[in-house]
Amino acid sequence: MKIAALFLVSLALLAQHVQDEDKKKRNPAIGNPQAIAEGEKMFNSGCAGCHGPGGQGGRGPNLAFGRVMWHTLTDEQTFQLIRDGVPNAGMPPSSMPEEKLWQLAAYVKSLREPAAEAPLQGNADLGKEIFWGKGRCQGCHSIRGSGGKLGPDLSNVGGTRPAGYIRMAIVEPGSQGSKGFEKASITLKAGKKLDGVIKNRNNYSLQLLDAKGDLHLLLVKDIAAMEIAKDSMMPALGKALSSEELDGLVAYLGKQTVRPVELGRN
Amino acid sequence: MAAPAQVKYEDILKSPNADWLTYAGDYKGTRHSPLKQITTANAGSLVSKWVYRVPRAQKLQATPLVYQGVMYMTAPNEVRALDARTGRLIWEWRDTRAKRSDVNRGVALLGDSVFFITSDCHLTSLHRKTGAVNWQVKYADSEKDGVFAAMAPFAAKDKVIVGVGGGDTGMRGFLAAFDANSGKEVWRFWTVPKKGEPGSETWGDYVEYGGAGTWLSGTFDPELNLLYWTTGNPWPDFYGGDRKGDNWYSCGVVAVDLDTGKLKWFFQFTPGDTHDWDGQSWPVLIDKTFRGEPRKLLLHPNRNGFYYVLDRVTGKFLQATKLNDLVDWASGIDDKGRPILIPDKDPSPSGTRACPGVRGGANWMAPTYVPATGYLYVVTVEQCDIYTSSAKKPEPKAGFSGGGAGAKPRDVGTIYLRALDAATGKRMWQYPMPGPAVAWSGTVSTAGGVVFAGDDDGSLVALDAKSGKHLWNFQMGEDLYAAPMTYSVEGKQYVAIATASAVYAFGLFEPAVSVEIPKGAPR
Repeated sequence: MKIAALFLVSLALLAQHVQDEDKKKRNPAIGNPQAIAEGEKMFNSGCAGCHGPGGQGGRGPNLAFGRVMWHTLTDEQTFQLIRDGVPNAGMPPSSMPEEKLWQLAAYVKSLREPAAEAPLQGNADLGKEIFWGKGRCQGCHSIRGSGGKLGPDLSNVGGTRPAGYIRMAIVEPGSQGSKGFEKASITLKAGKKLDGVIKNRNNYSLQLLDAKGDLHLLLVKDIAAMEIAKDSMMPALGKALSSEELDGLVAYLGKQTVRPVELGRN
Repeated sequence: MAAPAQVKYEDILKSPNADWLTYAGDYKGTRHSPLKQITTANAGSLVSKWVYRVPRAQKLQATPLVYQGVMYMTAPNEVRALDARTGRLIWEWRDTRAKRSDVNRGVALLGDSVFFITSDCHLTSLHRKTGAVNWQVKYADSEKDGVFAAMAPFAAKDKVIVGVGGGDTGMRGFLAAFDANSGKEVWRFWTVPKKGEPGSETWGDYVEYGGAGTWLSGTFDPELNLLYWTTGNPWPDFYGGDRKGDNWYSCGVVAVDLDTGKLKWFFQFTPGDTHDWDGQSWPVLIDKTFRGEPRKLLLHPNRNGFYYVLDRVTGKFLQATKLNDLVDWASGIDDKGRPILIPDKDPSPSGTRACPGVRGGANWMAPTYVPATGYLYVVTVEQCDIYTSSAKKPEPKAGFSGGGAGAKPRDVGTIYLRALDAATGKRMWQYPMPGPAVAWSGTVSTAGGVVFAGDDDGSLVALDAKSGKHLWNFQMGEDLYAAPMTYSVEGKQYVAIATASAVYAFGLFEPAVSVEIPKGAPR
């Protein structure tokens, strides 16, 4: 998961200058919840066939997180691309009114923006109940000092990750990798057994966090054997939750940002 | 090894030992460790144990902290926990939404929390084992208030103390204390009084954006319950015509009660400064016989080229001696602690040459005090600058500092590590550091009789504390802006320092032990 996070952050840095310039002349649809919702409807009926549900790619390119955007599109370029299409690649132009095109652009943009900047439709209050209740998320994850320590801290997840990423992490845990959170069982040459998650390791040392939250700084020369789980410790929640509950959980997590987000500020 | 327990206030009172729990190692700013595995006899066998390259870093200035084998290191808006034996990353936290990116000088530890300040003045509490966020509070608006933060926060009892920089472009300095558990503000002490408040009469007509930054960590006397914090220049830096007077509480040291934030005393090194000689360089607190009488002293090498000794109970001035050879703005310091000015050394529109230069005789480069020698070890710069001034109406937060300073090409200057007899100020020895005079590194000392210092050419150097004799050096190949520190894990002593982009840890040579890949490990 960490690799993916770093990857996203470097993309974000690449895109920073473009985005800053962009914000100065931002169309009112960008970052507007109603406009994004309208854009999503249009996307699902007209674009998802090629670009996949949630813009995650199909016959057409992935528009969401994870895509290598060496030339990040500005708002204006996104708008123009939707309007003019890419006829050589099979994407048709659109004759929709400008307002509609901007709503679509707002949705596409929201796919790769941190969730806190791209307002979500789910019921965040319901999501909060799931997180702290039947989802048992808090057993491993923490938000602002409450909750477990073994899983990634989610205090800032909405401020750093797009909603699609959050959704995928819930539905397909480990799909983004689990570096820094691998479940492991270690036997020391001295006989002691330790269970926890591996924060980092190489051939010489290993840093393990156990379920009590204690760190164990181990030298590999002291280790007799280790088992590292292939799969994420996290249960997949896609089936355990209704779609309303899942939307709610994504919305709740999407709101988790250490710094308040000023929507529509620009 | 497991890392249980919490960093208690009582633990910090005993730091440094195996751990290094504050920016200066202890509360008193001595940067002196009781560790003595590395000695003057074996320092020649030091080797590098590990290097951690901090991603994207270009100008690291932090002193890492170490608690029970975990090292906490910062870069601007970033904190990392490393395994202090191997340099391997345990966790990292990055505030990607910070609105500024300036330098950063480190964290504070208390309880299970790591305290850290972003460049845009957000005090952040992270869980020390995971980097999970406990809380974050914005204590100043970097855009509206014209301030930023570079300091390591300072934790004592149940409080975390923070300050601000920005005094070169007009702002109002302060110290603020926050409850370590809740992040609630407990008190705030302004280093520029409001118009009408005591001290405001020292500012001529101009008070509002007087500067007096608090950009470096302070020191603390637990028995007196007093924080000692140095203050920066009055603004505009190089033109004093609009702020005639001493300009309290700039260019001095304030003693403030930890519980209440009330001022106990103030001493000013450079009244009405016009050379940007911030008072920063933290006050070193020692108990020592001074002129035949046991006293609680405050030692302070200053940017203005003098070395001061004060009584830290009352703030009474005791003595000042020349720290630098190149000092030409004052012939000395009188018995009240005021400089005896030499005329025509103020900045002027056409330029006035004055010494020391703008970076000062001393600055925030960390000094160290060794009880066994009674010496204070100070990194000093011998240099002069041409100071210019502008009487333009000061506009705050617009990059205006009332003039400027710059050296003639041949005045590039030389950096020296100097050992001063702490009580008399007498120079006992000095170690010249040939180079381009760009380093801002500092010192650490150990009970093994060794003083470590970063030099002006990318080397960490070990010297005999008594004689200044060279014992060892290691070329790290980058400019140095951070001071070394020392710690111990499982009985092995390390010395660590950040270069411009990496953290290095050194220890005594040991032959390698072959490592077999354990059964079951992925291959």
